[in-house]
Amino acid sequence: MGNEEDDRVKRGSTAGVELKEEDIMAAMQEIHGYLDITPGDFKQIYILAYQHALERLSRELTAAEIMTRKVISVTADTPLAEVAEAMGKRGVSGVPVVDDQGRVVGVISEKDFLRSMGVKDSQNFMTLVASCLRSKGCVALPIKKQAAGDLMSTPAVTVTPEARMRDMAELFTQRRINRAPVTDKEGRLVGIVTRGDLIRATLQGARP
Amino acid sequence: MIGKFFRKMTGATQSPPRVSGMEVFWSWLGSFLGIAAVAYLNDGFLEKTDLVLIIGSFGASAVLIYGAIKSPLAQPRNLLGGHILSACIGVSAWKLLFVHPWLAAALAVSVSIAAMHLTKTLHPPGGATALIAVIGGPKIHQLGYLYIVMPVAAGALIMLAVALVVNNLAPTRRYPEYWY
Repeated sequence: MGNEEDDRVKRGSTAGVELKEEDIMAAMQEIHGYLDITPGDFKQIYILAYQHALERLSRELTAAEIMTRKVISVTADTPLAEVAEAMGKRGVSGVPVVDDQGRVVGVISEKDFLRSMGVKDSQNFMTLVASCLRSKGCVALPIKKQAAGDLMSTPAVTVTPEARMRDMAELFTQRRINRAPVTDKEGRLVGIVTRGDLIRATLQGARP
Repeated sequence: MIGKFFRKMTGATQSPPRVSGMEVFWSWLGSFLGIAAVAYLNDGFLEKTDLVLIIGSFGASAVLIYGAIKSPLAQPRNLLGGHILSACIGVSAWKLLFVHPWLAAALAVSVSIAAMHLTKTLHPPGGATALIAVIGGPKIHQLGYLYIVMPVAAGALIMLAVALVVNNLAPTRRYPEYWY
């Protein structure tokens, strides 16, 4: 056993789960037949294998590998009608808002529309339908004259091209977002990662 | 430095658990039948000939293929490969170096271990098979390279056949783990 290996085993970093020899003895007794291995050897194999698994998992795909590159974007002064049209045509529920140099300044999504249309509680389509049916006229009227810049969520939650899948999943959950623009060092838009991209990439990663 | 050297002699872990009574029974049954098969054939048919079918190293093989059947050392590849390869090396060592029996013995065993390592056929009784080719006396020496086929390969095959039957009859056992 090399010194480096020795140290790794001594540290026994198995993400907070310390495997005791008595656990190994108990497990060995559950397996029928004579196992030609000592509990010490098993523990060593377990710890090293666990670290290999961690390394494999941490070498996950990055935002750059899973993002959608052809992403439509709008500018802050794009009229909302155009924004809605573009989103409808492309079948997306959110688009990044960029300035004239392509830097991401915000994101505008269905939720932003719903919020500004007076849907207070849960921002989904059915809440909108309900409030529409209760009021006279279209609930979109109050925002007719507005532009993307008025509604967008800003600053945008963006990720770098190197962002790892696990971190992005955590970010999406914590911030309750469904997409994050991918930006380069200058903050310019290079792509977008959606929940769909994450799910697709998870399936690909699961295949051997 | 010296402290570490001696600390290494104190051991680092505990002995593995004892197996169940059923496991002991199947180990006993398998080894009884396996050794009985080669010994019975040896005594019944080869007593009055120059041939033999049983050698001491089969007792060691029995420990593995009936008593520690999950071990890589006990798999068919190791059993057959280890015995046959070591027999070749043992006989050659005797033929080349019979004037220095001690050297023939040492080389037979050490070269066999190296060869078994390199071919992934490590089977501890193979070392005994190689040694027997050197120290087994006139009857073994007379066999020459026939020693490889009989007793070594033939005996190992019979013991393997018994292992395949007995170990797979046992509800909690499965044999082999792999063939190649």
